[in-house]
Amino acid sequence: MKTENLIDLLARNVEPAQRPRFVQRLAAMLALGLAAALLLLLLAFGVRPDMATAPIPVMLKAMFSAAAAAVALPLAMRLMRPGRPLGWRVGALLVFVGVSALATIIALMGEMPERRLDAWLGGGFPWCLVLVPLLGAPAAALLMWLMRSFAPTKLASAGAAIGAVSGGVGAMAYSMYCPVDSIAFVTTWYVLAIAICAALGALVGSRLLRW
Amino acid sequence: MTDEAAFRALLLKGLSGDEAAHRSFLTEAAGLLRAFFRNRLRGRPEDAEDLVQETLVALHTRRDTYDPNYPLTAWMYAIARYRLIDFLRRSKLRAHASLDGVDVADVDPDYDASDARRDVATLLSKLPEKQRTAIRLVKLEEKSVREAADETGFSESDIKISVHRGLKTLMHLMGQEQPT
Repeated sequence: MKTENLIDLLARNVEPAQRPRFVQRLAAMLALGLAAALLLLLLAFGVRPDMATAPIPVMLKAMFSAAAAAVALPLAMRLMRPGRPLGWRVGALLVFVGVSALATIIALMGEMPERRLDAWLGGGFPWCLVLVPLLGAPAAALLMWLMRSFAPTKLASAGAAIGAVSGGVGAMAYSMYCPVDSIAFVTTWYVLAIAICAALGALVGSRLLRW
Repeated sequence: MTDEAAFRALLLKGLSGDEAAHRSFLTEAAGLLRAFFRNRLRGRPEDAEDLVQETLVALHTRRDTYDPNYPLTAWMYAIARYRLIDFLRRSKLRAHASLDGVDVADVDPDYDASDARRDVATLLSKLPEKQRTAIRLVKLEEKSVREAADETGFSESDIKISVHRGLKTLMHLMGQEQPT
C-alpha cells in the first residue's frame, strides 16, 4: 500500500478524538493499587501487633512513602505523552534522595555510637527490600497497563518512574507492618526498596511498554 | 509549509473530527517523516518508507496524547525517534552499522517516494474479523459509520470502536514484523 493510500485510509471518516482523562484514570489506578497492596498485606502478613498503640510512627512512615510516590509521579505523568521536557521533575527526585541521605546521617549522629548499627539496620535483615516491591507489584501492573494506552517513547524511564511510584505505594502499605521505627532505617531502606522497584520497572517497562 | 502554528492547527482541527484537515496534517507529517527517516537510513528507502507508514499510524492512533502546551513537532519527532529505535532493535542493527558501506549517492533518484517494503493491505487482512470488516467498510469503501452499522448489524459505537481497535492492532502488527 502506498503512503498516500494509507493517509486516505487513516483520514477517511475520522472521528473526533475523545479527550483522554489522564488525571482521573491515573488517580483510579493509584487508588486501586494502594487498595490491592493493603489487601495483600492484610491477607499475607497482617498489621503489626502494636498498630493501635503506635499510630504516630506508622503514620510518619506512610507519609514518607507517600512523599516518595508523589515525587516520582510527575515524572511518570510526563513520560506518558511524548515530546515534553522533564524539567524540574528529575531535580525534585534527586532532592528527595538527597534529603533522605542527609536525614539518615543526622539521625545516626544523634544515636549513641553503640546503638547506631541497630538503628540503621533495624536489628536484622531489612525485609522491606523484598516486601515493598512485592506489595507495589499490583500498582505497577495497573500503571503499566495504563501507560500502554498512552504513548511512552522512553520506555526504560517510563518503566522506572512507574516502578518508583508503585514502590512508594507498596511502602505505604508496608509501613503498617514494618516493626522498625528508627528514622535512619526508613530513610535508608525504604528509599533503597523504592529504588529497587524503579530498577525492576525499567527492566520490565522496556519490554512491556513497547507499542 | 513547515510553519509550526499552521501544522498544529491542522492536527487540532483533525482532533475535532475535520477529515480534510486531518488528511493535510498526515500528508504534511509524511513529508517531514520521510526526510527524517531517509536521513537516518540512507540507502534503505523502503525501510524508511515502512517507518513513515508505521509512524503515521502511530501518530493517528495516539493523536490524543499530543499536549497542546508543547510544540507539535517535538511530539511528532519523539514518536518518530521511538519508532526508529524500535525498528533498529527489531532488525538487530545498530544505528551506525546501518550507515556502513552505503554511499549517500546510492539513493535512487527515480525511486518512488511512497513505495514501502511492507504491504499494509496484507497486514490489514490479518486483523480479527470484526475489526477488519469495520475498517474495510468505513475506511476503504468510504461508507459512513451509520451505513456500516446497518450493513453489519453492529451498533454505530461498536463500528467506531472496532475501527479504532483495528488501527491499534495494525500498529501492533507493524511493530511485530521482523524487517529483512
